[in-house]
Amino acid sequence: MDGWVGRIIRVDLSRGDFAIEDLDPYQAMDYIGARGLGTKILYDEIDPKVDPLSPENKLIFMNGPLTGTGAPGGNRLVAVTKSPLTGTVTCPNTGGHLGPELKFAGYDGIIFEGKAPNPVYLWINNDEIEIRPAEHLWGKTTNETEDIIRAEIGDKWQAMDTHIACIGPAGERLVRIGAIMTDRNRVLGRGGAGAVMGSKNLKAVVVRGTGAVTVYDGQAFKETALAVLEKVPPGGGPVGELGLLAIGEMGALFSILATRNFQASVFEGWGNINMMALKTQFLVRNRGCFACCVPCARVYRVDNVEGFECAGEGAEFETHALLGAACGVDNLPAVLKAGYICNNLGMDTISMGGTLACAMELYERGYLPEKDVGYKLNFGNAQALVELVEKTGLRQDFGDVLAEGGYRMAEKYGHPEISMTVKKQEIPTWHPQAVQGTGLEYATSNRGGDHMKAFVLSEELLSGGSPETALKTEGKAAMAIHGQHRNAVIDSAGLCTVILAIAQSWDFESLTSLLETATGAGYTQESVELAGERIWNVERLFNLAAGITGKDDTLPKRILEEPQLSGAWEGHVNRLGEMLPEFYRLRGWDEEGVPTQEKLQELGLA
Amino acid sequence: MAKIKVDHTKCTGCRSCELICSLHHIDNTFNPKRARIKVYIDGEHHYPVIAGPYTDAECTAKNTVIIAGHEYDECELCRASCPAKPVFKEPGEEIPLKCDFCGDPPDPQCIKVCVTEALTLIEDTEDKEDKEDKEDKEDKEG
Repeated sequence: MDGWVGRIIRVDLSRGDFAIEDLDPYQAMDYIGARGLGTKILYDEIDPKVDPLSPENKLIFMNGPLTGTGAPGGNRLVAVTKSPLTGTVTCPNTGGHLGPELKFAGYDGIIFEGKAPNPVYLWINNDEIEIRPAEHLWGKTTNETEDIIRAEIGDKWQAMDTHIACIGPAGERLVRIGAIMTDRNRVLGRGGAGAVMGSKNLKAVVVRGTGAVTVYDGQAFKETALAVLEKVPPGGGPVGELGLLAIGEMGALFSILATRNFQASVFEGWGNINMMALKTQFLVRNRGCFACCVPCARVYRVDNVEGFECAGEGAEFETHALLGAACGVDNLPAVLKAGYICNNLGMDTISMGGTLACAMELYERGYLPEKDVGYKLNFGNAQALVELVEKTGLRQDFGDVLAEGGYRMAEKYGHPEISMTVKKQEIPTWHPQAVQGTGLEYATSNRGGDHMKAFVLSEELLSGGSPETALKTEGKAAMAIHGQHRNAVIDSAGLCTVILAIAQSWDFESLTSLLETATGAGYTQESVELAGERIWNVERLFNLAAGITGKDDTLPKRILEEPQLSGAWEGHVNRLGEMLPEFYRLRGWDEEGVPTQEKLQELGLA
Repeated sequence: MAKIKVDHTKCTGCRSCELICSLHHIDNTFNPKRARIKVYIDGEHHYPVIAGPYTDAECTAKNTVIIAGHEYDECELCRASCPAKPVFKEPGEEIPLKCDFCGDPPDPQCIKVCVTEALTLIEDTEDKEDKEDKEDKEDKEG
């Protein structure tokens, strides 16, 4: 096959063996790959009602047909599983080099089933596949795990060309916001996939490959890829120059950054943790993932601030927004250190920040006693932030409560409405009382509170929009649906969404052209759009079968009922009620958000 | 004569150069191991190296070099493929790979995808000056 490699590995961890299976070419075409194909396999193979942390759940690593090609941003590997945080299907994706390496080794994906009796890691070196003991890695941080495995490989040149996914202590301890780290600092972040990996006693996946990814029409593929590159400003524009924090700067400009647990949207200390603060104090260099033209990763080092020494990669915008602004912390070394600990122990920074922000509000309102948490947990307490992140990853003291995520913590203290979550997953920073369509996107996301599954924000405000268009509800349902289908295709093709945000490059036309020249499978723009819709609906069917229904397509009470913001946004709440019925109707779903029989037939899902 | 200027401080480690090199030399194929350029990514450093000629013996002395405070194994910076490292060779075979400047006249594909301009094609100015001097001289003599 072209684009796809055509083979997947199925690993039965309970029995300790594996098999190589052929990819079904028709299914691959209908669901494209990565997120779409992974979700279809999960939906077909598990009962959506299973306990996410039981051996019956599966963890699927899947690449797209464009992963490992030279398509700009063609580096994505998706982990599909049932989330222990939300109970929905979840599909975090990672950049870096792991996904491409897996394809060079000769595999589109890996399905992990069951549970190993003892800790193991999976070794893949082209055709050589081995389930190896990992007792000596258990308890180690993600950076230690990388170091040990690379040292074990022995041959320096081989170790250099090997790529690793692993969990840290958080995943092992079933922290519900646990993440899987790849290449040390790239993350399969949202929804607790790290905990699922931990529940299977799977510590790491180590991949090395020397094979090829072939495309159907190399010359046409190259021309399409170069045409996309032309739309990207030199050096990746502001995001290439200053990182994703440059998008945060837009958020600050429009006053829409969630501050102190969404009680405001202007953070007075933003200038202390923003892109210029990072660049002038701790930046080492810029870095890009495999085949990327927008090098958004920042390599940073803090070595002169006592207690906050750290070095790594990241300084992602949402990390600074949630661990910084949402917690009222404007101490840059502390925010970097908190992000570093999340990576080192293996946790999602968005959910970690959102959970701590929720804890801080519970504390300030007197719902969370100081004796429980062990700190005077006022907004802005940088020392407590860093220490509690560490404790969460290790499930120590109050960290054991935080490890359950914000919703479960707030519920335990009798105030679930204080948790800024959708389907129990922390929402990103863009304040939905200002950006109405983004609120609809959060509410309807199939994996809980999330901004990457439609990126309505770009259309309604950042590029071409205005505060007036952001506050409108008209047309937002169609905007969200279009974005959801497009991003489903992007995630399934194996591309990175960031480039979309930079250059608006990934329209259906260029997506179709890349997919078709890569695979030769017969994709048309119409069939690609339909695939995006099909993927969205399969996720929905999974969630409905898991018991997550239209009632869960909502936003926190505060967002819907209590105006929080000032300036241009003063007096506004999110008017989800004006958008949601239209959203269901345009989707061909009934009033309760269930896909109609006609819609399912149209998508070949009936 | 044109040259490729390599500025490793601008390299982001994205390896697009490896990919386009592979696609250009082997029909419809992306395989970094068959590329004639390789980006070494080591901690905080990225270092693109373009394949030079094959040598049939490895160096007797192994050198560590320090550049801008960072220690490199000189083998990583070396452009040769040699028996000591499995780089710039066809996978599974010993056939060495060498940069061909993508033909004559030079048209290196790697610079086309390097958005941060870590790789740029430049005229060898010294060379040019020499030539101009010589031409001037010839004019005068003529």
